[in-house]
Amino acid sequence: MPGGDVADLTTPAAKGVDVLIAEDSRMQGKILQKRLTDAGHAVRWAENGSLALDMARERRPDIIISDIEMPVATGYDFCKAVKSDPALRTIPFILLSTLADPIDIIRGLDAGADNYVTKPYEPDYLLGRMAALLATPLGEDDLADATTLEVSLAGQSFKVRAGRQQALNLLVSTFENAVAKNKELMVSNQELSVARDGLERTNKELVSLNAEISRINTQMIRDLEAAAKVQRSLLPADDVSLPSLDIAWRYVPCQSLAGDFLNIFPLDDERVGLFVVDVSGHGVPSSLMAVTVGRFLTAKVADSSILVRQGPDGRVVVASPADVATQLNRLFQADEFSGLYFTILYGVLHVPSGRLDYVCGGHPALVRIPAAGGPPEFHGAEGFPIAFVPEVVYEQKSLTLSPGDRIFLYSDGVPEAMDKDREPYGEEKMASCLDGGRGGPVDASVASLLDAVEAWCQPNGPLDDVTILGIEWKP
Amino acid sequence: MDQFRRIQTGKKGDIFMILFKDKKILDDTVLDEIRAEVAQLLGKASGPDVLLDFSEVDFMSSAMLGLLGQLHRKVSGGKGRLRMCGIKPAIFQVFKLTNLDKLFSIHKDAPAALATFT
Repeated sequence: MPGGDVADLTTPAAKGVDVLIAEDSRMQGKILQKRLTDAGHAVRWAENGSLALDMARERRPDIIISDIEMPVATGYDFCKAVKSDPALRTIPFILLSTLADPIDIIRGLDAGADNYVTKPYEPDYLLGRMAALLATPLGEDDLADATTLEVSLAGQSFKVRAGRQQALNLLVSTFENAVAKNKELMVSNQELSVARDGLERTNKELVSLNAEISRINTQMIRDLEAAAKVQRSLLPADDVSLPSLDIAWRYVPCQSLAGDFLNIFPLDDERVGLFVVDVSGHGVPSSLMAVTVGRFLTAKVADSSILVRQGPDGRVVVASPADVATQLNRLFQADEFSGLYFTILYGVLHVPSGRLDYVCGGHPALVRIPAAGGPPEFHGAEGFPIAFVPEVVYEQKSLTLSPGDRIFLYSDGVPEAMDKDREPYGEEKMASCLDGGRGGPVDASVASLLDAVEAWCQPNGPLDDVTILGIEWKP
Repeated sequence: MDQFRRIQTGKKGDIFMILFKDKKILDDTVLDEIRAEVAQLLGKASGPDVLLDFSEVDFMSSAMLGLLGQLHRKVSGGKGRLRMCGIKPAIFQVFKLTNLDKLFSIHKDAPAALATFT
């Protein structure tokens, strides 16, 4: 507190004096007036130097406190006028300023000011300065021995006329001002040093948090990789091979975990089960549902399989596609629908006859490329997505393949793949791409469809999982 | 009644009218916010009549269908009815691919859909 140790100077002699304030800011004027009135002084307040001079002449104040920056007449002008008026010139004059340039002090001295206080100031400090000035009044003799001194500052030369007492007072006030500012600086410096310590501590905490995040991140990546591995177990072997069938597939998840999966496997000696599943959404929730669905779609005769079961005579009984869809829909009905659902195209191919029975649970139609020529055909069936509505009937349809016919199952990530203008790739381009693959191997056909989809989605790549399964029947 | 960011709401008699404000409903976060806002609007209403207006929506992911399924259940759990309108061709494709165009009651615009509630 700059004013703390000079407050004692507020001697009784300084009480109850007549103070004149010149201050253009109404707010600052009011505050100062209140402080001085509270301290027991009589206070008059003028809005500029010119008015203040009139008031000083009307009734001589004991002390004047003036702002420097004011319209009409500045604090310097006002001060000069007071100090050159024989009736007023011994009144102690304090200049208030936001300026802190040494030249301002010289100007103040030149104008004849007795004291100099920089804003912002502590009220007690100002009261202290007032008391000190009133305790050492200027005599006419002091003014009489005023001499003209030449002062050079910052390359400028000033001629200053001041008495000894006046120069001393101003010097002391400047010094005190400097001491007060220095104290403030020291406090600021201390605060800075505390802040710096805090910053260093925070920094250390950040470094350790960062290490923790990186540890958790590594753990999560490991978990995701493990989950992705579980998900890959839902897919066919890379070199899947079944008699009388040419099989090719691609599966490109758009995140490390996907909602899509597919498979093809023998159900019994004559029949092959095949499907593409697409769980809505992406990421962990979708992938968890995919893995759960996968547990039911297995050819292993076990409790969990809904595709095959052991008949009473020990033979394997293959469930019809419509029964599989109905069963899945029943299994995945929850009391409270979470919004997670899946679509499926499930087919059972009787390999000796080429007859395919299939069902669609809200899944896009399969494409047949007839070996005999003719345009690609879309084959779909009625049925809502699984888990969407309870007790739905799934329409089962049949398709009899001719030797050399190809069928392609896919997820909606293929026709719905969007280019940079959000134009979907579309069923038409998909069908004609598959049509163009006639004659070549099935694998080349599937590969070129995937390439076409990925090229369509440049530069960002597909936003959905892309799954394709192609089969050629060659009995 | 405009306290929501993702939906604009109104009431016609007992019918809750919900307009989806987003042009694109593709992001999981957007979808979660829509879900929360719709849930807040309908609250504990049992089997309310609801009209969904898609006329502002240009693109929609199939995950949005999950929310429509939830609404379908909530509404048909009571005596309520669910109607949809303003569905653009690109959005209709999402319904069509999943056969859900046959589950939902889809109408050209709000007046046409409102007329079916009577």
